[in-house]
Amino acid sequence: MQHPTAADGPLLMDATALEPLCSALRRAGYQVIGPTVRDGAIVLGELGSAADLPFGWGVSLQPGGYRIRRRDDTAAFGHSAGPQSWKQFLHPPREKVWSARRTAGGFEVEPGDNPAPRLAFLGVRPCDLSAIKIQDQVLGRGQHAGSTYAARRSGVFIVAVNCTEPGETCFCASMGTGPGAGPGYDLALTEVTGEDGHRFLVEVGSPAGADMLASVPTRRADAAFARRARSAVAAASGRMGRSMPAGILHDLMAASNDADRWDDVAARCLTCGNCTMACPTCFCTTVEDTTDLSGDHAERWREWDSCFDLDFSYLHGGPVRSSPRGRYRQWLTHKLGTWHDQFGSSGCVGCGRCIVWCPVGIDLTEEVAAMQAEAAQGGTRHAGTGGEQP
Amino acid sequence: MNRAETADLAAHAFLRGMPADHVALLSATAAPVSLPAGHRLFEEGGRAANCWLLTAGQVALDLPVPGRANLIVETLGSGDVIGFSWLSPPHQWQFGAQALGPASAFELDGPAVQALCDAHPELGYQLAMRMLAAAVRRLQATRIRLLDLYAPPGGRGDAE
Amino acid sequence: MTLQTLPARYRIAWRAAETHDTVTLALEPVDQPIGTHLPGQFTMLYAFGIGEVPISISGLAGRCLVQTIRSVGAVTRALCEADPGQLVGVRGPFGTHWGVADAAGRELVIVAGGIGLAPLRGALLAALAARERYRRIVVLIGARSPHELVFAEEVAAWRAAGADVLVTVDRASAGWTGHVGVVTQLIDRAGIDPGAALALICGPEVMMRLTARELCAHGVAPGNIRLSLERNMRCGIAECGHCQLGPLLLCRDGPVVSYTQVAPLLTVREL
Repeated sequence: MQHPTAADGPLLMDATALEPLCSALRRAGYQVIGPTVRDGAIVLGELGSAADLPFGWGVSLQPGGYRIRRRDDTAAFGHSAGPQSWKQFLHPPREKVWSARRTAGGFEVEPGDNPAPRLAFLGVRPCDLSAIKIQDQVLGRGQHAGSTYAARRSGVFIVAVNCTEPGETCFCASMGTGPGAGPGYDLALTEVTGEDGHRFLVEVGSPAGADMLASVPTRRADAAFARRARSAVAAASGRMGRSMPAGILHDLMAASNDADRWDDVAARCLTCGNCTMACPTCFCTTVEDTTDLSGDHAERWREWDSCFDLDFSYLHGGPVRSSPRGRYRQWLTHKLGTWHDQFGSSGCVGCGRCIVWCPVGIDLTEEVAAMQAEAAQGGTRHAGTGGEQP
Repeated sequence: MNRAETADLAAHAFLRGMPADHVALLSATAAPVSLPAGHRLFEEGGRAANCWLLTAGQVALDLPVPGRANLIVETLGSGDVIGFSWLSPPHQWQFGAQALGPASAFELDGPAVQALCDAHPELGYQLAMRMLAAAVRRLQATRIRLLDLYAPPGGRGDAE
Repeated sequence: MTLQTLPARYRIAWRAAETHDTVTLALEPVDQPIGTHLPGQFTMLYAFGIGEVPISISGLAGRCLVQTIRSVGAVTRALCEADPGQLVGVRGPFGTHWGVADAAGRELVIVAGGIGLAPLRGALLAALAARERYRRIVVLIGARSPHELVFAEEVAAWRAAGADVLVTVDRASAGWTGHVGVVTQLIDRAGIDPGAALALICGPEVMMRLTARELCAHGVAPGNIRLSLERNMRCGIAECGHCQLGPLLLCRDGPVVSYTQVAPLLTVREL
């Protein structure tokens, strides 16, 4: 078997090589996480073996709708917009921050014991890879370099899978996050099925990626195969289910605080928060301070939270954002607008999960288009809450 | 009563921007006065026949409340006009007023000002607009005080 | 810069009741003290088993952090009822500071409404400690009533140290012979020089909005007006998302902000 280097160019591996890849990862001490069929959906979970991958399963997606379906091939990664994203492993839904116990003199504090397992992510779509990098910026950089997120993130091995078959609700191309993976992967696969067999183009993205292939059967990819794989990815960008309208969304959001469209979407939005749970970049959390019955032992837990929750903006006796209009506006203007101000990029990667998992099928690409149209018609009818002119 | 000097009157913030000839007319109705500390300008229920343009010191508007002495409802200072009740029936003071320390003002004779305004509608308009502006500012401030912004959130309890 | 997720333990050295619902605590470090801080910054104070609240630092007394707390909920009630000798948790210091030094050679104008005087007290004390650096120090204080004035007994000392202090109340009580009216009405009384002023404002958000507007009407440039804003805070370290005000994360980009930055944000409902 070859021991390839990145300089050797892309490699080719048969689908049967996924099992040795998983074994190699486990031998290296990684817990392998990947997509698998469970409870009528393709979810992310620990893979006991490559056989746990959803070979031959695809999805039908629409606003407010998700069904798995049998494919007519054996593709393992021919699906998208599952109910969860990789953030549940890097930024867990619940984490103990510290515990404290009463003592004679007062109390003592101990940091939460949060072991950082070595995780290998098998099957990260380019949109989700972008989402991981966005969360890195929010939760792992600067003053957060020593955080539990950073600790979990530092050991992650990423096997990205380029997209050749976008879902009906996907729009990564218009967000600049796909269908091909950007940098940040250790290995990137492009799945090719057909009469010639079920194979993958393998691109090495890091020395760790190269090393992992040492015990995986691969061979040099011939130019034709490489071309076939890459053009399938390129073609995917022309087959997106929808697209986010072009334009500087940061500025559109900043100018849209009084748009009538918010009332329109608020009449539909249930403020259920599904979008924030499914979104791979939503990161908001709350803290819960608890004690046991004796009152001598206290704990502080950090838990996922949603800006749709009424309690989220509580201040001096009530929520600042009490109406559904205010809360939906907060979510979307943050995601597409003020995220740029706070973290230097858009918060949206075009994965389409919020569209699929919204019970009433709100489509943010449609909302943005409507807001652009309203702005183009000269703004809203509301009288001047245009703000102070200093 | 000493007649106010037109130039002195024109310098008062209340009359800022008023045409000089109007101020000259008005000066016939105005007299500079000193208000010693504790001086009561008027009492609630009294006949309202003048107003004051305060030039220095502090005057408190107050209301006698049984068992609580005189409660101050607002304090006014240099640049303020004191007294709106002379403008319209029943021409009766709604509050009392007291100089909190030594103060000085121009005292305007109500009926004389009224006669002047009847004869010179343009002057009347100028004066009326300024009275209105002062009343509106005070109304706005009073509304803000009613919001009780410094109260505990949820409007619990009272300090007393 | 390390992440401040664990509370440092501080002992209550002394407590002073300011009003019927407001208490000042002096906290001395038991563990490693928190980093040096500047007026305007805040800490997250922890009452064992109950929770945390963001409280501005209102001064320093020797090694002690001085923090003034109003009892408005479970955590603040516990802190206000705590006795000297008890331990509390402190995380911080967080946020931006007033930048008092920027007023060197100018008129420092401090406008405080209610409990808003607490976050400003540190700035005032810092300025008074170097009085000659400032052309003038003006302090305008609005309180609900005469016996709800915080730091009431310090006002005389501030005047003696060279500050022009004007106090007004929304509602007078018997015996009060000071100003009665909203704090914005003191701006006229103070005779400030708008071109030379650097204004620091803190209090209920409506009061800050109206005061900033009034100062602008008097000719103070928006860039010379600073406010201390507040939103729901949970982590204090810019990772929970709660304290957002439009583009700002107030625990990181605030609480002290320039009026130029926030003027358009303050009039957007439910922002």
